[in-house]
Amino acid sequence: MKRARRLISGPIGAIVLAIVLAGIAMLIAGVSPIDGFSALFFGALGGKSQIAETLVQTTALLFPALGICLAFRAGLFNIGAEGQLIVGGLAAGGIGEHLHAPAFISIVVLLIAGCIGGGLWGAIAGAMKARFGANEIISTLMLNFIAIYLANYLVSGALRGGGASGAETATLPTNAWLPVLIPDTRLTIAILIAIAAAIALRFIFQRTVFGYELRASGDAPQAARRNGVNMARMTILAMMVSGAIAGLGGATIVTGILHRFNTALSPGYGYTAIAVALVADLDPLWICVAAFGFGILEAGGLAMQASAQVPKDAIHVIEGLIILVLAARRYVTSASEREATQ
Amino acid sequence: MVAVADASLELYPGEIHALVGENGAGKSTLANIAFGTVRPDEGTIDAIGTVGLVHQHFELVGRLRVWQNIMLGREPRKGFTIDVAAAKARVVELACDNQLEIDPDAYVEYLPIGIQQRVELLRELERDPKVLLLDEPTAALAPAEIDAFFATITRLAARGTAVLIVTHKLQEVINFSQRISVMRHGRIIAHMATEATTVDAIAREMVGGELPRIAARSTTEPSACFAAEEFGAGVGSGRIEQASFEVHGGEIVGIAGVEGNGQSALADAIAGVLPYSGKLSISGTRGIIPQDRLKEALVLNWSIVENAILGRQRNPGVHRGILLDHRAARADAQSIVERFDVRAASLDVAAKTLSGGNQQKLVVGRALHGEPRFVLAYQPTRGIDVGAAALVQSRLVEARNRGAAILLISFELDEILTIADRVLVLYRGRIVGRFERSAIDRSAIGRLMAGAPA
Amino acid sequence: MNGSLGMLAAFALLTLTKSTPIMYAALGGMLGERAGIINIGLEGMMAAGAFTAVVVSNLTGNPLLGVLSGIIVGGFFGFVLGYAATAFKVDQIVAGVGINLICTGGAAFGLVLLFNQPGASPQVPGLGGNYWWLIVLAFLCAIALHYGLYRTPWGLRVQACGENPRAVKDAGLNPLSLRLLAVTMGGALAGLGGAFLSVGELNLYSDGMTAGRGFIALAAIIFGRWTPFGSAGAAIVFGFLEALQFSLQGGSIPSELMQALPYLAALIALAGLTGRVRAPAADGVPY
Repeated sequence: MKRARRLISGPIGAIVLAIVLAGIAMLIAGVSPIDGFSALFFGALGGKSQIAETLVQTTALLFPALGICLAFRAGLFNIGAEGQLIVGGLAAGGIGEHLHAPAFISIVVLLIAGCIGGGLWGAIAGAMKARFGANEIISTLMLNFIAIYLANYLVSGALRGGGASGAETATLPTNAWLPVLIPDTRLTIAILIAIAAAIALRFIFQRTVFGYELRASGDAPQAARRNGVNMARMTILAMMVSGAIAGLGGATIVTGILHRFNTALSPGYGYTAIAVALVADLDPLWICVAAFGFGILEAGGLAMQASAQVPKDAIHVIEGLIILVLAARRYVTSASEREATQ
Repeated sequence: MVAVADASLELYPGEIHALVGENGAGKSTLANIAFGTVRPDEGTIDAIGTVGLVHQHFELVGRLRVWQNIMLGREPRKGFTIDVAAAKARVVELACDNQLEIDPDAYVEYLPIGIQQRVELLRELERDPKVLLLDEPTAALAPAEIDAFFATITRLAARGTAVLIVTHKLQEVINFSQRISVMRHGRIIAHMATEATTVDAIAREMVGGELPRIAARSTTEPSACFAAEEFGAGVGSGRIEQASFEVHGGEIVGIAGVEGNGQSALADAIAGVLPYSGKLSISGTRGIIPQDRLKEALVLNWSIVENAILGRQRNPGVHRGILLDHRAARADAQSIVERFDVRAASLDVAAKTLSGGNQQKLVVGRALHGEPRFVLAYQPTRGIDVGAAALVQSRLVEARNRGAAILLISFELDEILTIADRVLVLYRGRIVGRFERSAIDRSAIGRLMAGAPA
Repeated sequence: MNGSLGMLAAFALLTLTKSTPIMYAALGGMLGERAGIINIGLEGMMAAGAFTAVVVSNLTGNPLLGVLSGIIVGGFFGFVLGYAATAFKVDQIVAGVGINLICTGGAAFGLVLLFNQPGASPQVPGLGGNYWWLIVLAFLCAIALHYGLYRTPWGLRVQACGENPRAVKDAGLNPLSLRLLAVTMGGALAGLGGAFLSVGELNLYSDGMTAGRGFIALAAIIFGRWTPFGSAGAAIVFGFLEALQFSLQGGSIPSELMQALPYLAALIALAGLTGRVRAPAADGVPY
């Protein structure tokens, strides 16, 4: 209950304020906010297929947001979910073509490949921090770009599929496709995996020794270090698991949506997911809610672009405003809490 | 929480006025209000001329030079640029006037603590303050440095500056001040003339009654639980080297010394967060009380329960497989809270909501929980009230009486003399003196702490 | 002989051209960090500057006014970051990420809104052959910042602000306004870097044209040890790598790998240099 109140005074208030600001921006741009927002709303939630598409976007944001959540809780500013997502997708797409196994096994193998790819990509930044003290914000940013160029290179060369028309891998065998949840839509069981991951993450934080030590190293690194937490190991492990969750997301996009790997995999989910994780106050279950909200923005943005001539990129402005306003709101609420206790 | 209420204080030119009180009585808050850092909710501060404040923890810029620190904000100019020659000349002139020798080109971060304080003092003097506030100015100084410091302050007062010294060291108050005000629970409860009072009388006013007694001691057992041999750790001025000593079960060994003489390197190496050379052997379980409870011991936004098991999260009894045993954690927390009188609304409140004394009792309780064979106590009573401090010291003595080996590192010589069985003196990273209980000589320890021969 | 000399000169010019936007951004970011505010939003500020320069140049026909407006808009977003970081004490990383989204999204939005074409703007009046003086200006900025930081009272105060803002406060100064000014100036420099990209080197804005240069600049600051000359020097190294990638295009090394080179170099240098350089003590710490 207390948490709900905090969310209303914090994230939800921030979202409302951001929407108001976005409406003003639309007015300035000469678009009626009512038209804009109704196009967004109906585009995202107006029917079965729209809702399914919104859930597809929700899923795509949920995995990297959960990965970011884990890293941030460990005190590691992992800005690299985008790269981890791509490398995870690349790993799945790269081996998918050569996989001839029964459906269940194929899918599991590809998802694990995604975890390994993303996990390794995250672990690079973790190891650099643990070994050299390299700032993970910079290293993960650099790794994002390296991931994109590496993927571009591989899909136009070594991993380029035989029958593929452009820079992409070959189409996966159909038994490696994720089962569709609602017929005639792109919504697959990936969303169930994502929700399960969120529940698992919360359980890990609350109940396990690993989660306890992870939170300690994020909340009070000096105290954690002095109380039996191996910080170097925790840094690498947290970055690896964080990357693995994002990489799993990349693999679900490859096996569930694209059925191959190409660099259209992510229009920046890894960056938007930072906002998702922060809006939800780094709580895995609230991240599911926040991802749905941002899923509405992402899916609705496309519809808004089609019907109200508001380009989809305007959505990024709204997301940016939410981040800024939220960050400021948090200060305002904590200041008022301080005053209340004095 | 009100830190200070109804405080009236008058300072006169040429007078050294001491403001004394327990930790947490509101002295520093009052000083900060007077300086203008903290805004009073009601009432006024009237000062004739500028006010200077020398902090307990200096507010200097370590990576800038001495002259840059002193002249910051009042840089002499030559066109757009700083007139460096004029700035340095001003610093030298200031240093001469006050008989405080200083190299204006030195980088502050490489200077010893005593010299850094000189820089901070010169920075305030540059503004020619009519009122000078000194917050615990001698906390980090060796006895010899303290005498030199008060010589300077006395000279300043003689020139007409009004000086307010905030301190809890009563002997200094008696030696150097003219008037004394005592604070308790945020109020000034007594004004007195120094010549008409005694240390004991001031102490009684501060505490508001008799001082709590500390548990009696029993005999020691001979086996060493802790042994360091040719031990070294750390780099630079904070390192420790060639240290060889033992701590036996059933004794408290006190490490005396001025802050910054290698204590942190020693504590960090024992806590396992700093690599060391030489031999270090600790037998049996250990409990660690770090110096900084806010950063090094507690996770402030966690509950008492979660904090109570920090450090033992991998020990049997606290976890089952990969899962934490929350019921066991709660039972542990309950027993710590009861034994150590941690006052909290419930076990689920965040550690940050506790007062400093209660936080420290939780930290000490956690370290002593499960009766460890070896205990490292680094400044175990820093910044807490006398009641909590006495409880902490009592529990340490009790742990000793049941056979624990306790290494006590403290910057407060009085604390060491109160509960330690043996005393080692640390100066510039080396053990320069060893005293058995029967042979403890306060003035000899003081001289060794300052680097002088005993 | 003449031919190879000419090629060398052309390559040197290309290196300088590619270095310049990174140099502006790195100098701007360095200034903010010296005052204690870490600017993850450099990339967005560059995009905002680049886009605004194109819009104003298109509107007025004067690319110089475009550059000027790019500086102003970059400075505005620097101010937003600074205000959020000082008045509201928001997490500087988070605010920087938000500013990047707003700026890059806003520019893409603006393309459709103002030019009615997504992806890239039409061609607008650019500086053309005169763009070289913006290269010279970048070097002058480095010199001016060196002089300003190490010789003037303002520079001393900014340095103190990044190390220990409480000491600045005790000296009777306002650390918050010093920080705000520094990060605003830093944003203006990043905006100038962006304007150089759009109306200097080229004569249009396209989505993603900043291509991570703002992030490369963050790395350049570290390799430059938070000094003006160091940051400028590191920017030249990154510009050199980018020029190399251009010159070797079509060669035996795949272009994608060449494109990754600056980031790879930054990553390796980050690992090699960290620990040997020290950030300002209060960098990124709210006051």
